[in-house]
Amino acid sequence: MARGRRVFFRRRKVCKFCADKINYVDYKDVKLLQGFVPERAKILPSRISGTCARHQRILQRAIKRARHVALLPFVTD
Amino acid sequence: MRTYELMYIVDPRVPDEEVTALTEDVKGLLTAKGGQVVREEQWGRRKLAYPINKLKEGKYTLFYLAGEPGELSIDEVEFRMRQNDNILRYLTVRTDEDYKRAGMPLPTEAPPVEETDDEDAPAASGGGEEEE
Repeated sequence: MARGRRVFFRRRKVCKFCADKINYVDYKDVKLLQGFVPERAKILPSRISGTCARHQRILQRAIKRARHVALLPFVTD
Repeated sequence: MRTYELMYIVDPRVPDEEVTALTEDVKGLLTAKGGQVVREEQWGRRKLAYPINKLKEGKYTLFYLAGEPGELSIDEVEFRMRQNDNILRYLTVRTDEDYKRAGMPLPTEAPPVEETDDEDAPAASGGGEEEE
């Protein structure tokens, strides 16, 4: 009898931007950015999305720019 | 050569003719300040993601600019934008370094494929393409 055998197979996350070879994220690309701001409109942590540090930085900047010009919300309730 | 994007949001209560006039003003100013307008996009009326000055919509204008360092003075353009009460927001972004890093071509006259192809009708894009 297997005792407490919990084997998770966590699929390794791959950075979407690395995979797609995207090196510039446009703040005007609302469709793309929306995928990284769930419900509360917070920026999705790279720990969840799997985005690599470099691309997370690029993405973060784009999201913040988009927020400034009201293409994305700062908060939603 | 540096490239920039300049976006601003105009109060939706401002009639379209005035927006067009303002666009021409800004364009003239940019040219006077040593810039070169590579491309212009009118997004028209668009819903804001959050209210600005209690307004829920805004009219978006976007410029793609080019200029030589030392010649183009973005500061002065931004100063004028701040003076204008009809402009709710503006955003200037320098793009040449990012484009170069990404190996992307610098913006040219031709708009990207999926956007409006007809250059003669700048305001036409406003109604149809943005859902939500």
